[in-house]
Amino acid sequence: MPGIRLGWIALGVALAMFVAAGISRISFNVDILKLLPTHLPQVEGLSLFLKHFAQPNELIVTVEAPDSDTAEAAADTLAAHLGKQTALVKRTVARAPWEKNPADLSELLAFLLLNQPPEKVREIAERLTPEKTAATLQETLEKLTDSISPQEVALLSYDPYNLAGTLASSGLMSGAQQSEFSSADGTFRVIYVEAAQPFKNYKDTIAWMEEIKRHAAEAQLPASVRLGFTGEPAFVADISGSMEWDMQSSGIVTLLIIALIFWACYRRLRPLRDLQAMLVLIFLLTLAAAGLFLSQLTVIGVGCAAIMIGLSVDYGYFVYQRSLGHRGTVRELQKQCVQNIAWTATSTAAVFFALNLSSLPGLSQLGNLVGIGVVIGAVVMLTIFAPLTMRFHRPEIARPLSFIERLFESPRFLRTGAWLTLALVVLLLSTLVVKGLPEVDFSARTLRPRKSEAYTALDRLQARLINDRDLLSLVVSGRDENDVLTRLRVADTKLADAKARGEVASFRTALPVWPVADNQRANLPTLLPLLAELPRLKQAVFDAGFKDEAFALTEAIVNQWSVWAAQPPPIWPANEASRWIFRRIASRGDGQFLAMGMVQPNAGHEDALAASLQGQGVWLVSWNQLGRELRRVIPAEFVRVIVVLTGIFLVIVSVGFRSIRAVGLFVVTTGLVLVCLAGAMSLFGMTWNFFNLAALLLLLGTGTDYSILLLLALQRNGGDAPAAQRELSLVICLCVSSAAAGFGTISWANHAGLANLGLTCAMGLLIDALISLFLLPRAWMLLHGKKQPA
Amino acid sequence: MRLLLPLLLLALAHANQAAEPMDLAPVKKWIARQDEFRSVQADFTQTRALRALRSPVASPGRITFAVPSLLRWELGEPAKTIVIRKGKDYLLIQPSKKKAEHIPASNIGQEGGAKGFAMMEFPLATDFPDFNRKFEILAVSTEGTRCHLEILPRDAQARKFLSALKIDFDTRTSHMISFEMVTRDGSSMRNEFSNVRVNEKIDRRVFEFDLTGYDVTDARN
Repeated sequence: MPGIRLGWIALGVALAMFVAAGISRISFNVDILKLLPTHLPQVEGLSLFLKHFAQPNELIVTVEAPDSDTAEAAADTLAAHLGKQTALVKRTVARAPWEKNPADLSELLAFLLLNQPPEKVREIAERLTPEKTAATLQETLEKLTDSISPQEVALLSYDPYNLAGTLASSGLMSGAQQSEFSSADGTFRVIYVEAAQPFKNYKDTIAWMEEIKRHAAEAQLPASVRLGFTGEPAFVADISGSMEWDMQSSGIVTLLIIALIFWACYRRLRPLRDLQAMLVLIFLLTLAAAGLFLSQLTVIGVGCAAIMIGLSVDYGYFVYQRSLGHRGTVRELQKQCVQNIAWTATSTAAVFFALNLSSLPGLSQLGNLVGIGVVIGAVVMLTIFAPLTMRFHRPEIARPLSFIERLFESPRFLRTGAWLTLALVVLLLSTLVVKGLPEVDFSARTLRPRKSEAYTALDRLQARLINDRDLLSLVVSGRDENDVLTRLRVADTKLADAKARGEVASFRTALPVWPVADNQRANLPTLLPLLAELPRLKQAVFDAGFKDEAFALTEAIVNQWSVWAAQPPPIWPANEASRWIFRRIASRGDGQFLAMGMVQPNAGHEDALAASLQGQGVWLVSWNQLGRELRRVIPAEFVRVIVVLTGIFLVIVSVGFRSIRAVGLFVVTTGLVLVCLAGAMSLFGMTWNFFNLAALLLLLGTGTDYSILLLLALQRNGGDAPAAQRELSLVICLCVSSAAAGFGTISWANHAGLANLGLTCAMGLLIDALISLFLLPRAWMLLHGKKQPA
Repeated sequence: MRLLLPLLLLALAHANQAAEPMDLAPVKKWIARQDEFRSVQADFTQTRALRALRSPVASPGRITFAVPSLLRWELGEPAKTIVIRKGKDYLLIQPSKKKAEHIPASNIGQEGGAKGFAMMEFPLATDFPDFNRKFEILAVSTEGTRCHLEILPRDAQARKFLSALKIDFDTRTSHMISFEMVTRDGSSMRNEFSNVRVNEKIDRRVFEFDLTGYDVTDARN
């Protein structure tokens, strides 16, 4: 006896360590691309873009005010206030770095000139020779007198040798159409806030966001100013927080509903307490297994808790139900239960594991989690719960029939149930005829959370500042600068051709700013002698009527070239202003170089453009384009998986039933359930999306159990339908209630796709249970020519 | 300290109340009279006092306007830059370079080139509320028949670049005497008008330009 006790203690300690180790490793991944097939070009391109150009430590604070002065003042005040929180914030940027220090732009100009074709650079050097200097300056003075462009006047005032003019033909000096910091009317402004330290995990991010919001509230901004928070940290905090809440709330509510169902059926407190403890244990063990063996939890994986509890409790019900009439030992009880539980747990787990056949990683993860949970649930119920049920065993007391059992004893109830179910079926089929099949929605909307402050702020940002909804992002990658340059040139030519054909309205690639090592190598010897010429050039500028300050830019550019003289090409600009400009254009690191561009396609040419540019290391991507690609790929994939699963199921039920009529009834029942589900979705205005398509797979795995059990019971009872209904009513009621509760509770999940999956599954299971319990026995009687049950 | 703060606020409030309200009557009258101008012709001298130059540079010019939205603006003698506006399109001509460019009005405020003459749009506003919607009035002062008005466009892009627009006009005739743009770096561009002729008949051919032999680009496409 002490040995057994010691064994239990050891088991408890081992489980506690397993749970602690696993749960401490749990982390959430809020990237919706992690839910999608990685082999799709759009997913691949967007993932690369987000990995290299999204700023994980950069919060975007939007500031909106009724007028531009209030907005500007509020943005400056808030940026200064947050900037003082040095423990939290590394820096805040409320205006372009070069506005604060225009001289910083000289490095970028020096780089762009160095990058030009050698013949252009020779022209510059030629303009600065002693013979041409005076004429060059005279030309500038004439432009300063006659130009009607304030931009040209402003630039030439500080660039008397018109060095930047060389860049005009490359489009580099054309005014930017959009600002990163302010809307055109100035009433909407943006502050970029960089965290002082990289975030350790999502909890760290949530805590940081709360602190930032608290400090923002303390900044004493006018009441009319509205703030929004978006960017990577805001998304992580927002979505991880809601994921955590979804997981906890759906799990807890499922436990409560199961408790109510159990109480309604058995009215016994101690077994209920034990059952609940088992479910919590299963949940913790599964979560720990997920933490140890799976990668980060996605928003879809979060739904596992409620589904798993809803399914695992079936084995608990089964064990407890058997224990009520059991007269032998615990081992004998376990022996009686193991076959049934193993069969159902294996088939359910197999279906969930079969979600790995889908290329949607989010669904695969959900399948793996629930599959693991179901197996753990079966083991826990058999090994731990079964001995516990025998502790409270009272065989001498005859158990009164439960309310549900009494209901199913009543022929009137069975008749009424059949008529009501028939009426429901007719209603759903009529809805389907009138309203048609549910619409298909494969837009990126279904991948997003339903409520997210970060998304709301992002939508506002796109509406007011950066309207990139119809733009395609050009992502070009390569092993080194030259690799990317070659691909950029090809992409640029293709886009220019597409523009000439009218397929593209406008485009901008990174080609004009991408380092060209050959040009840099050839240009440095031409430009370096200018360093010695600086005194002469400065004097000429003064003599032409300019002040000394007019020469500062030229001097800084020439000095920058001399700094780069010792550096082997390819040369990159590196000061703060250049880094700020390049952070959304170019990325280097981890042996991978990336360049970004934007393409404004003409409507209707998006697919052809994406296909024509798609090549090794080149992607033309957008969220809309991703939706289109998914619409093409996913339905076919689901059909493939469903056909395979249906085939497997038909083989299994054929072996199990050994009757063509029974198999036929099973197929018709399952078909009717799916058609009725479509009718219910139409009735409630639901749509098919990536995630609730998986509901079809899950219904095949869980819902069909009811019809299989009924058909087996009908066979066992020699076609006596009321007897079969009496035998299974309580089990099916318990199972469907708990499973529907499990799925139903995730219908309030913040993630739209997950919520839809939960609701669709819950509806499907209820429809399946009703049809199996009330209509299937009638159909059996009709088919076998037996007398209708009374 | 707690007592000082309300006192300080009270003092500031009184100081605010004590500020003289601007007399906007001449401005309102001037704007209202804009409707009376069916056409305007004037010569001007444009003086650019750029911060990077040791002394200002000046250039003569000519402006012709006719309702509803015809404008010809020339700078230089002979003209080095000509801008012709017809309805919603602008034509920017550089005779010395034999170059011309069509610019749509929608590009005004976006293209650096177009912004320069967008500031000189005639009329400045259809009525005073429209004027108020477009401009913030910084200062108004009148001396004799000369009213000096300082304004700033409400457009955020323009405010980035400008610190003020200064307009002098004659309160009797409502003719513009001068128009000056002051940029944030302290530079300025001042147009002094002379030989102003109002409501004279204008030959519509003034708003035509023969572009034969010109290299014409079109920003409208």
